[in-house]
Formats: sequence, structure tokens, C-alpha cells
Amino acid sequence: MKSKVKWLTAFLAFIISLTIGFSFSLHTSYAAKKEPVLKIGMEANYPPYNWTQTTNANGAVPIDGSKEYANGYDVQIAKIIGKKLHRDVVVEKTEWDGLLPALTSGKIDLIIAGMSPTTERRKAINFSNPYRKSTFVVITNRDNKYATAKNLKDFKGAKLTAQQGTLHYDLIKQLPGAKREPAMRSFSAMRESLQSGTIDGYIAEDIEYQSYKRVNNNIVAVNLNKMQGFKVDKNDSITSIGVKKGNTKLLNQVNQVLAGISAKKRDQLMLTAVKQQPQAGNSKKENWFVSIMHNYGGMIARGVGMTLLLALIGTIVGFFIGLLVGIIRTIPTPKSAGKKWGLKIVDWILAVYIEVFRGTPMMVQAAVIYYGIAQLWHLNLNRTLAALVIVSINTGAYLAEVIRGGINATPRGQFEAAQALGMKHSQQMWHIILPQAIKNCLPSITNEFIVNIKDTSVLSIISVSELFFVGTTVASQTFQFFQTYFIISMIYLILTFSITRIFNLIERKLEGPKNYNLMANQIQVEDPKESGFEHEQ
Amino acid sequence: MSNNNEHILQVKNLQKTYGGHKVLRDISFDINKGEAITIIGPSGGGKSTLLRCINLLEEPTDGEILFHNNNILDSKYDRNKYRSKVGMVFQQFNLFNNKNVLQNCMVGQELVLGRSKEEAEKIAIENLKKVGMEPFIKAKPQQLSGGQQQRVAIARAISMDPEVLLFDEPTSALDPEMVGEVLATMSKLAKTGLTMVIVTHEMGFARDVSDQVIFMSDGVITEQGTPQQIFQNPQEEKTQKFLRNFRNSEL
Repeated sequence: MKSKVKWLTAFLAFIISLTIGFSFSLHTSYAAKKEPVLKIGMEANYPPYNWTQTTNANGAVPIDGSKEYANGYDVQIAKIIGKKLHRDVVVEKTEWDGLLPALTSGKIDLIIAGMSPTTERRKAINFSNPYRKSTFVVITNRDNKYATAKNLKDFKGAKLTAQQGTLHYDLIKQLPGAKREPAMRSFSAMRESLQSGTIDGYIAEDIEYQSYKRVNNNIVAVNLNKMQGFKVDKNDSITSIGVKKGNTKLLNQVNQVLAGISAKKRDQLMLTAVKQQPQAGNSKKENWFVSIMHNYGGMIARGVGMTLLLALIGTIVGFFIGLLVGIIRTIPTPKSAGKKWGLKIVDWILAVYIEVFRGTPMMVQAAVIYYGIAQLWHLNLNRTLAALVIVSINTGAYLAEVIRGGINATPRGQFEAAQALGMKHSQQMWHIILPQAIKNCLPSITNEFIVNIKDTSVLSIISVSELFFVGTTVASQTFQFFQTYFIISMIYLILTFSITRIFNLIERKLEGPKNYNLMANQIQVEDPKESGFEHEQ
Repeated sequence: MSNNNEHILQVKNLQKTYGGHKVLRDISFDINKGEAITIIGPSGGGKSTLLRCINLLEEPTDGEILFHNNNILDSKYDRNKYRSKVGMVFQQFNLFNNKNVLQNCMVGQELVLGRSKEEAEKIAIENLKKVGMEPFIKAKPQQLSGGQQQRVAIARAISMDPEVLLFDEPTSALDPEMVGEVLATMSKLAKTGLTMVIVTHEMGFARDVSDQVIFMSDGVITEQGTPQQIFQNPQEEKTQKFLRNFRNSEL
């Protein structure tokens, strides 16, 4: 009993210290907001425009909420703007699809992410004057039969793709007869698909060709702009800086700064970026495992830490939510009408909560909660805190049903025996039913923990740098996709495997021995034969 | 076995209906202090339901149950306090699976009676000694045989110092060789003057230990009397027929 109490105290202390830690980090982020930092949104995964690196070499800028840095053409442009406006520049690493909501919800000040000001996007946000003009190309392998295409019609039958949510993907429609493969999330994925032969090529800008060529000599670019009949909106062949609608002051400032950067300076910046961008194939003949772990070991370790933190806290908080909901939903119907209706309404609300959070993907919940709260109430949630809240609420919905099932599965006789002793409902639950129900639910709780370790990967949508998000970054920088994801999957396996063992151990500990050892426990007995009954072993 | 006719419990016109089915039709009887009452009769006659109604595990449909002349069915009546004074021993033992033998006998004392841990432990060990289960105080219920579990359940019930102890077929779920140890424990208890109401199929026990025997069938009390009256000289045909089945084998 005492050791239980000790454990509980230690555990509570742990939770409290975490909460305090978070409220502090929340505090600092609010404190930082008062200073005029310029928050730039970008993928930091789109070289040479922007990429992630582990040091601040070559004038890189820190990425908010991590120990990594961003660099690239976009970052250099952002630094010039920041300098002119006397504001420090910080990069908010954000998934491509998350950029627009992040801007409209005020999580970032500017989008500088190699983004074209399409008509669609102009409906949601404002764009500055262009800071880069580009040509469109189809990137394909040198020996591919479409490498020599001269006309738009020559792409008949070619399997082409482009990045999800970009104009490039729509451009495929202009190539008659070309097969439009599903859009992909990142350039790294498209490069990988091209190498593995699942696509014939992908549409991108010339700059992607130049950067890819540095790591893969076997590719060619087929220029589309020169082909007859190829139509691109003027807005589409340029890249601009996104500014929130209504923020005319910042827009004017940005345009003013851009006007001061000469075309020559821009080309020079781009060329430097192409040279500095992460390279595949180490010059030293290092083992891939050693090289990945050497360069990105720290980053991966922090990813593991974040994943474990999310899964552990999420499961624990989710467990308490589930416990509370499970208990409330198994309260017997009270006699008085008022209480009866009160309970009914609460029960209904909880049922809705469970249905909603079990019935929608966690990824969607994350996007809705993180961006939705910012947009509706202008509340800027700390990213990690938001992730923790989402995992906890989601886990709570699942575990509420598990625990309700556990309570209902506890034999009727246990309730009756407790009732017959005169225990109140709360006493019955706390001392008799819940300890048994929770013990019976333990396998399901383990299950939920393991699911959480893996499923927190969907939180990359709100750019939480957990293990999978880190893996994506490493893969896109090393171009060693198989190797990186192999390492990541191994780490996941080790995590889930060891957690399963630990929980099995706890379960066995709780179960206790099957047989009672009379000899070991009879010290207190003066004369065991006194009772006169035969004892079964 | 003093028979000073001090009523502890009075059951008056008790009725219990499940759906349209009347399980208890109109039951009235008194329980006097220090008496051991056995309730016998064919299965499905409402014996267990009657006992469960007395402890309010089932809600009676109609009638009154007076405990020291107060109606426990009154909405203002403190049911938990009543239950702590009327113990129950179940057919399936229902020991708390998450607690060991000693804790099983302590938890009610501490939570309901507000006794200190030391006092509760002392009383629990005393009572475990009475039922011969003291060597097993650290054992979990699933490590014990049925007979042992039932003896612990009895110790748990008497640790609450109940005014009345109800037994719901306490030996029916036991292997035959374990019935004896439980019945012996109960006989010992009856001799201490504890008020007991026992639903049982052990006719020998009913005849030898009880002060009063109630014969129930079809939801009514068919016949009631001393063991001598019921077993030697039953008046009703149903009682005679029922007892005939036992006479040769047991009595």
C-alpha cells in the first residue's frame, strides 16, 4: 500500500513538473511575441529555396521550437527584409499545406517558400511583387523516351506528377495524353519515384532541375515554356511573398525592400543557394548508417524524445480522461428526476465527444484544433502543447470506451458484495471495481500506448518535430530514403517492442503468483493446526 | 438462542414482480434477536429473492421491511447504514478479487464503520481465526478453494458486527467435500447468538441448527415453525412432498 502511494506521488510530481515546464515554455513564447521578430513560414524542405540544416553555417536562421536551422534562397531574402525592417528573423517550419492557414491565423508573418501567387491563393492572401521568375520543365531521366520531347503532344502516355497543391500539378493537363499520376507531397518523394521508375517525370521549375542535377547527373530537363501552345498565367511563373490580407503596411514594406534587390543580386543568391544546398553522396566513403547517425543522430534522438513524450503524456492524460468519462457513464440511474436528467445530458455530451474523436482521423483533428483555434480566437497555442492536447483528447475517447467496458465486465457479485457491506457508490468504484477494471484493461491501454507511438506521426501536419517528421527531413537532405526510413522504422520497432515488454512485466506483477505459499506466510500463526481444517495448496 | 421476542426485522406483505411475473406474492414474517431462521423450499420458490430484498439488492415492488420499527423502504432512510448492520454471505462468495484475505475483512470496517486500520486489522484477524482462515491472511481469493473463500466471506461479514447475517445458499456452489467446513463454521456462529437468516438446501443443517424454519414455494410462505414441527410433522402437502425427497437420503 505504501509503495503504491509512493509511486503515485512520484508520478504526480512528474506530471506537475512537466506541466510547469510547458507553461514556462508557453510563457517564453508569449514573451517572445512582444518583440518584433519576423516569423517566416516555409517548408524548410525545398532546396534550393529553403532547407533544414543542423548548424548555423552560411548565415542560416534558427527554426522556431527546434535546435535546427533553415537556409536557402528564401531565407536569404527573408534576412534582407528583416534587416531593413530591424526585425529578427525566425523560421516557422511548416508543411506546405499548412502555410496558408498558418498565415491567415497569424502564426507567421510572411510566407517565403518559393510560392507562386496563383489566382486561387490570391483569394486567401495577398502577394508581394515577385522575388523570383522561373521556367517550367519536365524533369526526367536521360535515357527516358520522353527526354527528347519537342512538343506538348510528345508526352502522350507519359506518367507525370508534381507536388501536391501546386500549380505544377495542374500544368500536366496541358500535355495531351499524359497520364496524371497522384500528386506527391515533396520533391524528395518525386525524385525517389523517378529513380525507382514509378513515374516518367515530374513538372517543376528550372531551379529544381539545377539543384537535382548536382546530386544526380543522369537527369535532363525538358523546357515547357518554349513549347507551342503552353500557357501559363503571368502570376504562375513567378514566386512571391505571401502576406496576410489587410496587412498593407507589411506588404508595402516588403515590396519596398524587394525593389532594392537587383536582378544580379538575386541570381547570385540563387546560385549560392544551389551550391550550398544539402548534397547527397558523401565525398568520404562512409557507411550510410554511420554517416546518417553522425550527422543527424542528435536530431533523431530529439525526435525519439518528442515521440515518446507525446505518446506517454498523451496516453497518461488520455487514461485519466477515459477513466473520468468511463466512471460517469457507468453511474447507476439516480432516483430524483433532476439528477436523472442532469446525468442524461452529461452522458449524451460524453457520447458525442467519444463519437466525434473516434470517428475522425487524428490528423484532421490536429489541423482543425491547431489552425482553427488560432483563426477563430486568435489564440496562439504552443505547438507541442497543442499536440499533447490532441493526442490526449483522442486517446481519452478510445480509453473511455475501454474503461467503460472494463467496469461493465467486472462481475456483478463484486458490486453486490460491496453494496452489502454498506459502501457508497464512490467507495465501491474506487476501492473495489476500478482496481479490477483497470487491471483488466491494461492490455488495451498498452495497445493504445503503442498506437500512439506510431500515430503521433500524423502530427507532422502541424509540424511537431517527432520521429517521423525528423525522418522526412533527414531523408530529404541525405537523399537516402530507404536507409533513413529503415533506421526510423527500426527505432519505432525498438520503442514499441520494449514498451510491450515493460507492460507485460507490469501485468504479470499485478497478477501475482497462481498458488499461495502457505509456508512463506505463516510466521504470524502460533499453531496452524489449531483450526482443524485441511488446507489446500 | 434466547427467544425474548425482540423483533429486529419485520417483513410485512412483501411483494416483488419482475415484468409480469410475481416472484414474491405476499410475504410476512418476523426475525427475532438471537434467532437462526432457515428458509427452505423448492428452487424458484423466491427464497433468494426474499433474502436479496431484505438487503435491498433487489427493490421490493410493494410491502414494508421494518428494521427496529423503521421502514427501510422509506426514501429518506439511510440504506448504506442499514446494509452495514445487515450482512450478507453469497452463494458465489464474491470476495473482492483485488484484495487479499485480510484486506477483504478490513475494507468495509474502515470505509463504512470508520474504524482505524489497527482496530480493523485486529477484528479481522480475530474473526479469521474463528473461521480457521488466519494462516491465509495474505492470500488472494483466486488462490483459495471454494470452501476457504466462503469462510473468508463469513469472516468479512461478521467483522462488520452485523445485527443480522443473511446467508444466500452459502454451500450450493461448493464441492461436496467442502460443504462440511462451511456448515461447521455457521453452526459455531449460531451458537454465539448471532441472528441469522439462511437460505439453504442442507436439510440436516436446517433441522439441527435453526430455531425457526420457513418453507417457501411459489412466492409464498407455505409453512413456518420450529424444526421439529416442519421436519417431524409437516402440515401442508407441499412441505410433505418436498421433504419426502430428502428423508431417505439425509434425515
